[in-house]
Amino acid sequence: MKRLWYFIREAYISLRTHQASTVIGIITTAFTLTSFGTFLLLYHNVHNLIGRVQTNIQIIVYPKDSIEPQKLQDLKKAIQTESAIDSVTLISKKDATKDFTHQFPDEAYLLDGLGKNPFPASLVLNLAHTIPSTDVVSNLVNRLQQNPNIDRVRYNRDWIERLTLIITYLEIGALIVGGVLALASITIIANTVQLAFYTRQEEIEILRLIGGTNLFISIPYLIEGAVIGGLGGGIALVFLRGGFEFFKHKTGTLSVIGGFSSVFEFFPFSLSLLLISGGILLGCIGTLTSMYGWMRFRL
Amino acid sequence: MIQLFHVTKYYEGCLALSDISLRIDKGECVLLTGPSGAGKTSLLKLIFGAEHPDDGQILVQNRNIARLRRADVPYHRRTMGFVLQDFKLLPHRTVFENVALPLIIRGLSSFESRRKVIEALRAVGMEHKQTTLASVLSAGEQQRACIARAIVNSPIILLADEPTGNLDPQLTIEIAELFKAINARGTTVMMATHNRQVVEQLNGRVLRLDCGHLLSDQGASA
Ligand SMILES: Nc1ncnc2c1ncn2[C@@H]1O[C@H](COP(=O)(O)OP(=O)(O)O)[C@@H](O)[C@H]1O
Ligand SMILES: [Mg+2]
Repeated sequence: MKRLWYFIREAYISLRTHQASTVIGIITTAFTLTSFGTFLLLYHNVHNLIGRVQTNIQIIVYPKDSIEPQKLQDLKKAIQTESAIDSVTLISKKDATKDFTHQFPDEAYLLDGLGKNPFPASLVLNLAHTIPSTDVVSNLVNRLQQNPNIDRVRYNRDWIERLTLIITYLEIGALIVGGVLALASITIIANTVQLAFYTRQEEIEILRLIGGTNLFISIPYLIEGAVIGGLGGGIALVFLRGGFEFFKHKTGTLSVIGGFSSVFEFFPFSLSLLLISGGILLGCIGTLTSMYGWMRFRL
Repeated sequence: MIQLFHVTKYYEGCLALSDISLRIDKGECVLLTGPSGAGKTSLLKLIFGAEHPDDGQILVQNRNIARLRRADVPYHRRTMGFVLQDFKLLPHRTVFENVALPLIIRGLSSFESRRKVIEALRAVGMEHKQTTLASVLSAGEQQRACIARAIVNSPIILLADEPTGNLDPQLTIEIAELFKAINARGTTVMMATHNRQVVEQLNGRVLRLDCGHLLSDQGASA
């Protein structure tokens, strides 16, 4: 208990004596984590979006126009037994015409001249909620396309593939930017802590003289690094939140992506915590880096 | 309790201690004398685990210090106290906090450490300065605080390297008297000094070193 108090006090004193470099360390970490967090935020939202789009995915099957009604029912039943399919809705030629006249009442007269109903019947397939894998879906689509009773299959998977690609880019980007910036903030925190080491060398010598272990000597500095990193993470979180709200506010007034901005959401609590832990981790790594050369054996 | 067998120490090829063998028993008062550069500090550092001998063995309470693992050095040091010429106190801490530091390192409870600190401060006549910052103490008081810090752990041996080197003659007598009292209470004392007056005052076993050689080893005169 007494030790804990001692460690905290030492860390506090050290942070206070090196205010300038402490602040620089915090700012660098905040900058690093803000950049990284931006990627994370994008990633999180694109990921979310995919989830949403996926539940909205429909596969529309157009049977051959010449198909007999009985065969059509059989086809519907057969598709319904697929594990990837939640439900199948049959839209008959009549339903399709009704939909059209309902949606475009002004153009309804066009149909009158045709005599024959131009709309094909279709089966609308809704995917089960638990099938995230695109493989399963493409497999099903392929099989349907082979079916001799089916004319063609429409499937809006381009979207998913495009989003998946974006996710991959975001992952690579986050890795590169995050890696470079993490290195920068580790270096700066390492320097901050090293400065603390320099000015307190006399104290460290005294601790060695009276039998302090390396661990005992370094814990205050680890705390120092963790505090710098953690504060940086906290500030980054505030920045991200502010930036996010600003972005949301700006795009909210644009009708085009108005639909999108309502989809965007901030990190859940667990990811926010992850960001701060990331800062603390950076701080500790920074401290350990600078201590590595210092913890040699001397009086 | 402490035994050295043919200990030799070089610094970058330069001989500091040559073939030193000696044995120190519990309760002894040993005075290391000799001119500057004789190897007094080196000998204390070897016993303290701050340097490694290039040859020979050092046994402290049957533990071979020459082969001590680096990670065990702090634990070895906790069994001894070391007083240096320049006082080495944490300037922004009170006397009490400075003296309590070895106990914090050992993780002692507040209650127990409080009792030990007061006891150590009383032994050096500093109990009235507990709450004073170390930076405002006089030289003599600083050295007293250092001695209190060195004995607070009840060490098996108290090492001192020219503890009176920075003190005027009057303070030197007082500090030497302190060491004498500590030794009288049973703590083994090993002090490097080239102050003849201190040697006479402590009246212990005198080891004379010169250029790394042990010239003479004389018991107490009376
Ligand atoms: N860290 C060191 N590096 C190189 N030489 C040293 C070192 N410490 C001591 N010496 C040399 O070892 C010899 C003994 O020094 P020391 O033990 O300090 O003597 P004393 O304490 O008796 O004055 C001297 O010649 C000194 O120059
Ligand atoms: Mg010396």
